[in-house]
Amino acid sequence: MATTTATVSITSADLVPGMPVSINASSTLYQTGTTTGLELVEMGRGTLTEASGTDALADALGTADTTNWVYICNKSTNVEQYMVIGIHDTILGHLGSEEWLWIPWNMSDGDAEIFIEAEAAGSIDYEYAIYRSTNTLPASDKA
Amino acid sequence: MATTNATITINSDIMSYSGSVSTEMTMKKFGSTVGIEETTGLQVKKFNATTAVEIVANTEGTAGKGSKVYIRNTGSSTTDFFYVALNNNAAGATTTETIGRLYGGDWMLMPWIATAATTHDIVVAPSTTNTMTLEYMVFQE
Repeated sequence: MATTTATVSITSADLVPGMPVSINASSTLYQTGTTTGLELVEMGRGTLTEASGTDALADALGTADTTNWVYICNKSTNVEQYMVIGIHDTILGHLGSEEWLWIPWNMSDGDAEIFIEAEAAGSIDYEYAIYRSTNTLPASDKA
Repeated sequence: MATTNATITINSDIMSYSGSVSTEMTMKKFGSTVGIEETTGLQVKKFNATTAVEIVANTEGTAGKGSKVYIRNTGSSTTDFFYVALNNNAAGATTTETIGRLYGGDWMLMPWIATAATTHDIVVAPSTTNTMTLEYMVFQE
């Protein structure tokens, strides 16, 4: 069985005056409702341009309403370049330069793709990793 | 200017070669090098019903900016979970738009556009009437 852990540390000495912020959390990624570790992963790196419009980073291929995790990082160092991240028709937020996100993704139905979009001129490099409970490969058009 | 850093580390042996991730970010205001300067502080809430509950109203951030939201299920159950959604009054398996499930110990950190509409309130729904606890913090712009 594979073991995947995700750990976060959030710190700030001056966000709340006189009260430093220090959050540390760690979780093990399990298949839906079990103690069996996730065993499917897709990792990659890509480049987006504003002209490319909205793209699906990942389609909801697999069993609906399950445990899956998504990591995305905007690798641009230009603060004017950001990524729009969302699920189907809903924007979650703006991922600024050198920022990352970590979200659960239950693939609630077939229309729950993770979409990404680049804003501002130039190209944006990004990295991602998707850990899934299940995955169904797209059908081939081979005759 | 405040400085808030967040580091994620993912270690995994799913693949036969290294699949580790380690990335640090400084939470910045939208399109700026200036750090986020406002927060709700860390909030803790207990739940013992499956009713969907709004934990963050869209008015707690400025629409279209660079707010971030941290949420963690502080429990240890591998069967009980929270649905987390962007919605005005619900969160469930197929609610538009449910993001995902947080089981015991699971955490998430996401950018939040805080669109000025109830469609961008952050709502959670426990899967059980067993008592579960959620901690969450909004880093606001």
